[in-house]
Amino acid sequence: MIDYLPILAMFILAGIFAGVSFFASRLLAPQRPTPAKEAPYECGIVPEREPAERFPVRFYLVAMIFIIFDIEVIFVYPWAVIYRQLRAFGLWEFVLFAVAVFVSFVYLIGNGALDWGPLRRMSPVAGTPESMRSAERTAATTVRRVDVGTQEPAA
Amino acid sequence: MGDPLYAHGIDLAVVLITILKVILTFLFLLLGVLLYIWWERKFISDLQNRIGPDRAGPHGILQSLADGIKVFFKEDLAPTEADRRVYRLAPYLAAVPAFSAFAIIPIGDKISIAGHQTYLQLADPPIGILFLLAMSSIAVYGVFLAGWSSGSKYPLLGSVRASAQMISYEAAMSLAVATAVLATGSLSTRAIFVHQSVWNWNLWQLGVVPFGIYMVAATAEVNRPPFDLVEAEQELVGGYMTEYAGVRFALYYLAEFMNTITVSAVAVTLFLGGPSGPHINFLPALWPVVWFFLKLFAFVSFYVWLRATLPRLRYDQLMDLGWKRLIPLALYWLLLIAALRVGDDAHWPWGVNHGALNAITVVAAAAGAGVVFFGGLGAAIRVGAKRVEEETARAGGVRA
Repeated sequence: MIDYLPILAMFILAGIFAGVSFFASRLLAPQRPTPAKEAPYECGIVPEREPAERFPVRFYLVAMIFIIFDIEVIFVYPWAVIYRQLRAFGLWEFVLFAVAVFVSFVYLIGNGALDWGPLRRMSPVAGTPESMRSAERTAATTVRRVDVGTQEPAA
Repeated sequence: MGDPLYAHGIDLAVVLITILKVILTFLFLLLGVLLYIWWERKFISDLQNRIGPDRAGPHGILQSLADGIKVFFKEDLAPTEADRRVYRLAPYLAAVPAFSAFAIIPIGDKISIAGHQTYLQLADPPIGILFLLAMSSIAVYGVFLAGWSSGSKYPLLGSVRASAQMISYEAAMSLAVATAVLATGSLSTRAIFVHQSVWNWNLWQLGVVPFGIYMVAATAEVNRPPFDLVEAEQELVGGYMTEYAGVRFALYYLAEFMNTITVSAVAVTLFLGGPSGPHINFLPALWPVVWFFLKLFAFVSFYVWLRATLPRLRYDQLMDLGWKRLIPLALYWLLLIAALRVGDDAHWPWGVNHGALNAITVVAAAAGAGVVFFGGLGAAIRVGAKRVEEETARAGGVRA
């Protein structure tokens, strides 16, 4: 365990560094809070809605699928250290395990669980009739010019 | 195994040497980040035909130091809606792992201080690589809790996005790192480095694929461009740290650059032989350190080059790349390398050492397995995409 002593010391030193920084900033920095400064960032607009309490379910899916893979990875490491001693037995065991995980992974992908393509509303171009998006439609044909020449200039 | 410093029990000198090493590593990281921020700004300025920072010190080299000092004098605000305790805790969870993860990187060979031999490496625990992965997992908490505790829209969205990205690529990164472990059969970073000396680098011992996967996944893991969706300012303002100001923001910034240095150092250690290089008789203890820093410098500069060259990915492209390309490829390559090594040990008739004909058999077998593997995956991707498309059509939309 003694090999972890420097790591422990590093934890402590980094923690102290962060703590001392915050303390120094408290001593040195001005403390003049105003309601506008302390409001949540909203591009200068007064926020009307609370921050969202719910977010898309895909993020939860990713988290769950990640757990499966993280467990697989955790099993990979001990095997990777001694796979040469385990020889063919260890290899086939691991292939079996990997296939089991991979099949479930393929099932997830087949269900579109990892598909992040956005649901898109009908775009204006797709919804407009053909005549509205022909090649002849240019600024010259669509912008109505006000003929200033025939009008009397305002006195 | 283990640092020879602790081989003969602990006395005062050993503790003092340990403290000295910790402080030196700490200062190196701080100084390294200051110089790296300056170098990134200067290098990217050159790439974009600008001058960059040039006021503070020669060639603006003191600019990041000046910024660092300035930040202490900035008002430290917490938004009214914030969960204050978590909001204050989160920067610690980002900074402490960032400092600690570098501890396992071997920088050079053995040196002796006051009659005690020690490695030029802060710590060499037997589970070095696992420690690294643990630190990178804890860093996700720093990101997620920062956004969640801010009580504000953009940080929350940014942190959900960031943590999904970081855990997705962590799986691919761990599999690529596991392939490097296969080559050595040890989790100690020192053993991995020694195994690769002198030109026996894992980069070509394992084929270039795991290295490529590691580089892509590590770039995404530390949110460097082109994977910096975490702070896509058009969509998310500043990402998870939007509400952080003053010195708390600076700690996040520091942690981000420190993580970039650490993943570069890990790439050097795992795939490019760490401090190994040509042996030179003049000052033999110095040269490994020089080789290590040259390799490290090449990597951190590569990250700046990437930032200047590549546009940011879209979120669905990012997830597709991580889950549907990198993870299966990393898994396939891991099994391939393991099968080759085990087959070689057991003198299977198709082992690589059995002449050209058998080498062809190996390639054919690997290709066959690959076709089944990636064919199944490709079919699943198509089915999944079709399903989502049908659902979208039912909801009255058109798929992008």
